[in-house]
Amino acid sequence: MPRLLNISNDEGRDARVQTKGAKPVPGNRLGRPDIDISFKRYLSTTQAGLHDDLVKKFGEDYAQALIDGDPETDIEQVGRSIATTHTVYLSGDGEVLHAPPDVVELILDPFGQERERRTPQEVEANVNDAMPVRWRRRRMARSELVRRFVIKRTLQIRHDSGITYDYLFKMARELDEASVVVLLGAGEKGREPLRFSQNGAPYQAFLEGRVDGERYKLLLHLSDMELKPPPQGPSDDSDDDSSSDDGGEG
Amino acid sequence: MAKPIVVSWQGEVSSFALTRISRSRLYGSRQRVHLDPTGARCQRAALTDDGSLLLEQGMTAQGYFDPSGEWVPNNTLTGMSPEGELVDKVDSTLGVSQELEGPLDPQDVLDLGVSSVYSLEPEEISESLGARLSEGDIFRFRFAYRAGFNTEMGILLGNEQGAFALVGRPQPTDWNELAQIVQPLDDDEDDDLDDDLDFEMF
Repeated sequence: MPRLLNISNDEGRDARVQTKGAKPVPGNRLGRPDIDISFKRYLSTTQAGLHDDLVKKFGEDYAQALIDGDPETDIEQVGRSIATTHTVYLSGDGEVLHAPPDVVELILDPFGQERERRTPQEVEANVNDAMPVRWRRRRMARSELVRRFVIKRTLQIRHDSGITYDYLFKMARELDEASVVVLLGAGEKGREPLRFSQNGAPYQAFLEGRVDGERYKLLLHLSDMELKPPPQGPSDDSDDDSSSDDGGEG
Repeated sequence: MAKPIVVSWQGEVSSFALTRISRSRLYGSRQRVHLDPTGARCQRAALTDDGSLLLEQGMTAQGYFDPSGEWVPNNTLTGMSPEGELVDKVDSTLGVSQELEGPLDPQDVLDLGVSSVYSLEPEEISESLGARLSEGDIFRFRFAYRAGFNTEMGILLGNEQGAFALVGRPQPTDWNELAQIVQPLDDDEDDDLDDDLDFEMF
């Protein structure tokens, strides 16, 4: 669904426009040429088949018991398709909590060590259709942008009327002719990174314009990290088991 | 340890050890922990929609099923393109020399949907490639971390902090024209902006 964005231009005039996320082209997938298949989540065991319950029933070495009697398989339940679920929290004793749990926030350093423990801080979104995001003074060439920052996501900014077409086209042309991107800021002073949802991640946002005749592209590139090597720590190793197919971390 | 990224530029081979980087590996991360009334850490679980099953960690799995609900074993699956055509399996490109193309326009990098970022440590780098990277030139190469049915685009670039590889798929964007007025709100279901941006960080 397109989102509304209030954006001001270099002259401080603002307008409400629409944004839409850019998406990578889809990759290949697993399938069968003869049938349509779907990927589903299903019940693989009941609570009686979990490790702790099996240990209680058969002791630590329960492998033979699994082979002999399939006690982990409840044929009435296993295989059941799991669709919509609701999150619940279990106490330390494994009981369902019927009141909201307390929440603490841990700040971890790059090596996963706890640096700080605090009461969660609620941070409001600062991108909405009321308060404009503004151009900051910082400009940089596209070549500098791509070599200094990782762009995590790109939003396309689009007009929804002839008036906003003129407004956005002019903005795109100005940036394209100068071959620069401009840093945007949010908040009352227009200096904060952009936060699109409550407690959401803050992003540095760079506005890029491209023009081809009467057509334009106005792209808002969002970044939450610089291009630099990770800090070296005592337990650091450079091994890597990642796959770019897995979507990375959230 | 993963095999290196090996690239060839003007007939000379260079190789780089790779380390995946992420925001949490650079700056740390934030976690919200839920505690019960005694101060013990809670376990997150799920209740099915009808309330009949409490799903704890380790109770579910995922798999492929045919329209009649029969499980389809993974070893009977093959690669299919988005258009539904069969595709061949590709080997991992790590440790295998890949031809560099470039230099690229920076806009080509901005048109990439980045899924992974690697910090590169040169094991062996040709003088000419090192010089081009230092001057700001950007190159692309084929990348597949492991064998499978997908190959992605790798972008090789450098800055004063070192050399890096960005990996992802092309991310096309639309030209906007005066006659093209976007649909009113709510008409477009093809957006997941909320989910994508609403993850916990500082």
